[in-house]
Amino acid sequence: MTPSVIENAGDLSGPLRAAVIELLYWLADNDLVMGHRNSEWTGLGPILEADIAFSSMAQDEMGHALAYYQLLHDLGERDPDSLAFVREPREFRCAALVCLQRDDWAFSLVRQFLYDSAEHVRLTHLASSAYQPLASLARKLVGEEKYHLMHGRSWIERLGRATDESRARLAAAMAKAAPHAAGLFEAGPHDALLAQAGILPSERALWDEWRDSIAADLSHAELAMPGRPPVLPPAGRFGLHPADLAPLLEAMQRVYRLDPTAAW
Amino acid sequence: MSDSQWRVWEVFHQQARGDAHIYVGSVHAPDAEMALLLAKEQYGRRQACVNMWVVDARHIHRTEYSDSDIFSPGTDKSYREAYGYDTTRRIRAVRESRKGGTARDGGEET
Repeated sequence: MTPSVIENAGDLSGPLRAAVIELLYWLADNDLVMGHRNSEWTGLGPILEADIAFSSMAQDEMGHALAYYQLLHDLGERDPDSLAFVREPREFRCAALVCLQRDDWAFSLVRQFLYDSAEHVRLTHLASSAYQPLASLARKLVGEEKYHLMHGRSWIERLGRATDESRARLAAAMAKAAPHAAGLFEAGPHDALLAQAGILPSERALWDEWRDSIAADLSHAELAMPGRPPVLPPAGRFGLHPADLAPLLEAMQRVYRLDPTAAW
Repeated sequence: MSDSQWRVWEVFHQQARGDAHIYVGSVHAPDAEMALLLAKEQYGRRQACVNMWVVDARHIHRTEYSDSDIFSPGTDKSYREAYGYDTTRRIRAVRESRKGGTARDGGEET
């Protein structure tokens, strides 16, 4: 069966409309929180060039989040600023991995590698999504995400073969991040419907594809492949987050909330 | 931020396929691949770019500024310049004579 193409927001209705809205929150909130976390390195990166590249990628993620929020707005949700700055933690739909505190450079790089390799797999499928506004946006974002993937891969490869210290720190970072990797592919409440309608394959299918896509990188760096428990309890995609998210949102939203009507 | 122990790479970008690569600056990086990766964010994100080169600065050979007098002509070398030729003067004369006339300013050879 070939799923039918959905040209505009107006052509979406019923359960599928709700499913696409839920998916867009998942995409947008992950990018916004990841972008904010990575922006915490601005001015603190170990080398000027590395700092600029990492900060620039953080801006990219926030730009992607804005674009997804705009698609949500087109579907009748609130405006992008309100979605980013006025919602409470429990209303966010993001994975635990992006919520965790910045920690050291090794952890941030490992997380960036895991996150962007996952995004690369997801965007590749979204680029041919049946929902055209999402597909055309994904095709625009693929280039930036390709760079993010190159960045993550290059760092992992180098830290994995550099010195005893870099290997030890890389391994420690992966040990901390790996248990949260499966959460990047948490199935939402409409997982089967989205797959059936050709919007996006199931999260489980994306997980398998992602593992294959990073196997060689991890093996070169002598890092273990993250695992996935047989059953994932509901987590970030259902608004259940680690305690790290609330302070992040508090810092990110503070200025906007002083005067939500201010013109910027 | 501690000083970089990484090597210097000179960066050239190309704004459109077929254009000459233009020197834009330098980055610190441990190897060529990383230099390209970091140069992209330093120099490729604000303007059009379709291709980038990095060159290990150690591979660039340069003249000494104390020798810069080798570049100044000791005698009249205007014959090397386009403006030194009669044709150029004829084109200019034709342009002058056509001022206020046709909008074409190509300077047809006569």
